[in-house]
Amino acid sequence: MIKLTVTGDLLFHLWATLWRVIAAFVLAMSIGGALGILLGRRKTLDRWFDIWVIVFLNIPALVTIVLCYLWIGLTEVAAITAVALNKIPMVAVILRDGTRSLNPAFDDMAQVFEMETRARYRHVILPQLAPFFASAARTGVALIWKIVLVVEFLGRSSGIGFKIHLNFQLFDVAAVLAYACAFIIVMLGVEFALLKPLETRANRWRAA
Amino acid sequence: MIHLRLVSKSFGQQAVLGGIDLKIKAGERIAVLGPSGIGKSTLLRVMAGLDRDFEGEIARPARIAYVFQEPTLLPWRSVAANLALTTGAGDGEVEAALAAVGLSEHVAKYPGQLSLGQQRRAALARALCARPEVLFLDEPFASLDETLADEMRGLVARLIDDSDMAVVLATHARADAVDLGARQMQLAGTPARLEPALPRT
Repeated sequence: MIKLTVTGDLLFHLWATLWRVIAAFVLAMSIGGALGILLGRRKTLDRWFDIWVIVFLNIPALVTIVLCYLWIGLTEVAAITAVALNKIPMVAVILRDGTRSLNPAFDDMAQVFEMETRARYRHVILPQLAPFFASAARTGVALIWKIVLVVEFLGRSSGIGFKIHLNFQLFDVAAVLAYACAFIIVMLGVEFALLKPLETRANRWRAA
Repeated sequence: MIHLRLVSKSFGQQAVLGGIDLKIKAGERIAVLGPSGIGKSTLLRVMAGLDRDFEGEIARPARIAYVFQEPTLLPWRSVAANLALTTGAGDGEVEAALAAVGLSEHVAKYPGQLSLGQQRRAALARALCARPEVLFLDEPFASLDETLADEMRGLVARLIDDSDMAVVLATHARADAVDLGARQMQLAGTPARLEPALPRT
């Protein structure tokens, strides 16, 4: 691992994977979140989409990845789209259930006092959904990075997944472990440096 | 100012409110009396536009405020932010409203750090911040102990005496109506209709 770090090889591939994880994560959280809130608020839409959510939830990651590569081509866009598509239904389901559990009393309150839509979302709806976002984010990061590796394994020429593919063919167990461990360390760092503090901040009022 | 012509209001097959024709003039106070479960809250919700699923029509002013049975404060925002964010009132107004209900020392606290009585008063302050033409009060003194309820009744009476807003109070206790000097209307029957309350004999 140290040898790989020194040569700069590790950092290059680490960064390639990390940026794919971030891009897919942001995409999946925003699209999945918006979709989930929409489905939770509109019953008719939910009835229409319910079956599709289940269908997409159950399409194997491998199928979406292969189809994306075939339809879009062996590009970065295809790779990130494939990963995001895998995660979007999951985020949507978590946020839909969260939205269904919103307290109607707060809706009444916001309506009586004629709060604007933006303020309503920012101060009334999103804080109620914060725990659901947190749980979607946590399971999201874990799942996304695993899928990113598969995507890289199958059709990219950079990233941890690509290196694991390479070292798998060379039968180099030590290198496979080194790349995997390096990325796990990065993800632990993200959890403790980013997600945990954000969560603590969002939950300040509970502790008070 | 408010004119409600209600034909009927039902939940599913169950008719809760029958024909009701109610006019409230500017600055007038009325109390809707009746046992719990009769439909007082439903009537208030219809009048406030929170429940639009009814037969009939309603005319009401644009600026209304509502004190709900539960305080319904946002637990993740400070007391002062609760008032400012929901009503759009400025800092000065918020401070004045909180001072009027005796919560000056608690502006920065979260609602969860206040007692139920204090939360009720914060909800009242929020309603005042909205500068309503009509104030709806839904059982504002329920589930408070006697002393606190008395204190709250005195506070509400004083604050609405200082303003010229109309007040619609839902309560099961006639004494509440008397304390606020409100015209008493009784909700009775199934489906419930509104009639002037008979003086107690």
